[in-house]
Amino acid sequence: MNSLSGSRTRAAGAVLHGAVLVAMGLCWAVPAFADDVIRVVSPYQTTTLDPMRSAAAGNIETYGQLYSRLLRRNYETGALEPGLAEKWEISPDGKTYTFHLREAQFSDGSPITAADVAFSLDRIRSDKKSAYPAPLGSVESVTAADAKTVVITLKSAFAPFLGNAEIWNMGIVSKADVEKRGEEAAFATVPVASGPYEVKQWKPNEKLVLEPNPHYWRKGYPKSDATVELIEIASPETRIAMLKAGEIDVVRAVPWTQIDELKATETVDMRLEPSTTIYMTLLNHKREPFSNLKARQAAGMAIDNKAMTAAITRGYAEPANTTLPGSIDFHDKDYPGIPYDPAKAKELLAESGMVGREVKILATADAPSQQTALLIQAQWQAIGLKPVIVNVDSGAWWDATGKGDYDAAANWWYNETTDPDLAVRWAVCGSCGSNSYSTFYENPKVDALVEQGTKEADQAKRAEIYKEIQKITTEEVAQIPLYYAPNAVAYSKRLQGLKLTPALQWTLEETSLGH
Amino acid sequence: MPLLQLIARRLLQLTGVLAGISLVTFLLLHMAPGDPARLLAGERASAETIAAIRSQYGLDLPLWRQFLTYLANLFSGDIGLSLRFQRPVSQLIEQFMWPTLFLTVYVICLAVPPTVALAILGARRPGGVADQIIRLVGIAGLTIPVFWLGIMMSRLFGVSLGWFPVSGYGAGFIGHLHHLFLPAVSTAIWLVPVLTQSLRAALIEKTTADFVTAARAQGATERQIFWQTMLPNAVLPTLNLLGVMVAFMIGGAIIVETVYAVPGLGTLMVNALLGRDYYVVQGLTLVFAVSTVLITLLVDLLSAFIDPRVRL
Repeated sequence: MNSLSGSRTRAAGAVLHGAVLVAMGLCWAVPAFADDVIRVVSPYQTTTLDPMRSAAAGNIETYGQLYSRLLRRNYETGALEPGLAEKWEISPDGKTYTFHLREAQFSDGSPITAADVAFSLDRIRSDKKSAYPAPLGSVESVTAADAKTVVITLKSAFAPFLGNAEIWNMGIVSKADVEKRGEEAAFATVPVASGPYEVKQWKPNEKLVLEPNPHYWRKGYPKSDATVELIEIASPETRIAMLKAGEIDVVRAVPWTQIDELKATETVDMRLEPSTTIYMTLLNHKREPFSNLKARQAAGMAIDNKAMTAAITRGYAEPANTTLPGSIDFHDKDYPGIPYDPAKAKELLAESGMVGREVKILATADAPSQQTALLIQAQWQAIGLKPVIVNVDSGAWWDATGKGDYDAAANWWYNETTDPDLAVRWAVCGSCGSNSYSTFYENPKVDALVEQGTKEADQAKRAEIYKEIQKITTEEVAQIPLYYAPNAVAYSKRLQGLKLTPALQWTLEETSLGH
Repeated sequence: MPLLQLIARRLLQLTGVLAGISLVTFLLLHMAPGDPARLLAGERASAETIAAIRSQYGLDLPLWRQFLTYLANLFSGDIGLSLRFQRPVSQLIEQFMWPTLFLTVYVICLAVPPTVALAILGARRPGGVADQIIRLVGIAGLTIPVFWLGIMMSRLFGVSLGWFPVSGYGAGFIGHLHHLFLPAVSTAIWLVPVLTQSLRAALIEKTTADFVTAARAQGATERQIFWQTMLPNAVLPTLNLLGVMVAFMIGGAIIVETVYAVPGLGTLMVNALLGRDYYVVQGLTLVFAVSTVLITLLVDLLSAFIDPRVRL
């Protein structure tokens, strides 16, 4: 016998026993959560509460809860409705818009005046730090005619203007508060809100807690007085586990592979909601091989986007046929798209003289990005290119694409309105400041058509213009369209009336809690 | 006063460590591709907007000037503002620190008792059945990837059985214990085997040590020999190992925190890195460095307390 036996093991046993007891004591069935909190989980972060400062996904979703705009969209029909502006008149030449504001208040109880509107819109339009001034690109001036009247003059008639005045960064902020607290401080913790909710607490990198704004102009809304938590969780497995365990109510960005399982889960309402999202592969037109038209066409024809869509999204998305999102106005449904023809692709590549060229494909860590990169690599290898996948995080991705230091990169984007004006300016216009979404694609004819489309008032003529743009840019393979994806969102069944609109806005104010 | 000398020496070391770490992280961060201004404004922002943001936050200045400004602030006790959130870095770290500290202490509480018990059990008959089983299970615990184990445990105990929450930190002491149970167990499962192996080996070595024979010859009971002679002598290497592991957990609980959505320092670090929130990353590395130095100091003090021969 050595000194370790006997009473020592009993002591050890007692310790183990104690540990087990503690563990047992800890696992009781907990009531899932208090009923008066709606928890929404998304991978996209809130990084600023200033509606002017960011165009990143998480912020777009937050802005809609905190700030009202001149107009709003009906959550059911998608039609434009009066928002902070009760009514408006458009001058016969289509250049002057006069908005009459309703009696409305900010969350601090002060009235929302024409001066606040002019201040907010001018910041978006001309502040250097404004992330997305493009929707107000046609505006000449914004003036407060009196306390409740705002006059907006356009450089030229622009049919989709009302729609643009509704998008996510057009929220009205308090001029007095921003001037008093200063731009940084006013939005750093609890900003003065004009929307259905105000900030209760913001824990950056973790969650944003909202509570109903008692001064919200839509009386009776938010329907539920529940607190709302917008929680940021990066791992998709964790998001799904939280929903199944009943710890949260909504999961944004459900991975395609999890949809079937969630559809079969009784407590969960798994929905595929309409969106204007398009997944595509950017090609860098600034350098070889894809500065060469035939090489781009070869790259496009080498890709079987129907098979890819089925493989990546399990058939939940629709293969894309043009460079523009499938659900925007004037999308050309009949355009045949880039044909899948590997033999022709090989031929074209040989003609371009780019056979054997190395192609740098950028990929981020998420599953669709990795899968797309791998599938494209295989298909391009088959026609004689030499694709190499370079894994980066999103910071490095934006850096490389912005500088044109890449050859191909898969990503997605969405259009905030159903009008195609902003979409073409963003994706295929070389003279609109976006470098055609960092592809550096530039076709003067397309640029001219974009301007024409902005000014044209006749709907049939606009349809022709955008059809032409889609035809040219798809034929020239400005980008390789992959698929049109719905928003995959899973909801707890205790919620009624909540959805994510195609403009990426949660209808939280219409939401009520059932059991 | 050897104690004061030790502390003074460590503090001196600390300044060196901090200066070195600040410089290295600063350079690494700024040389890595990616622009905080771009991540802040989003992809649609124009080049002019990005430039305006960069100049507002001083990111357009030459690197050496940015570093000097940072150092100057550091000396006045200011570790800077988060670029993303315009809040003091210290405030962010404070917000995320408690879950990590709680988790670390929790893991120690969960890991130490079984470690001691299993090591004693294994060392009693080296090579015996109990020892073999402990070793095999230990190897299993070591080799299972933490993220896989985490996902499986949250599926089983969280989703299917509903015993434990699968995310978050909870409210109140009991809430923290409840919410962090699965993360703590997931961590303890790889920590216990590491510590057990170390302690078991030390115990076996000490059973044949001269001082044990001497104690027995002097007529000490087996109980006295074990608690007063063997264990204190055997525990030192394991204590050092535990110190290293604890320092590692404070800075490296990234996987467990991600899987269980614990709002701790690991989560903050990942987000700050992805968002190129330079000063938050800098601040966190400083905190990790300080905590490592402090823990080593604490372990050394404990060692000296346990074994007076240990020269401070």
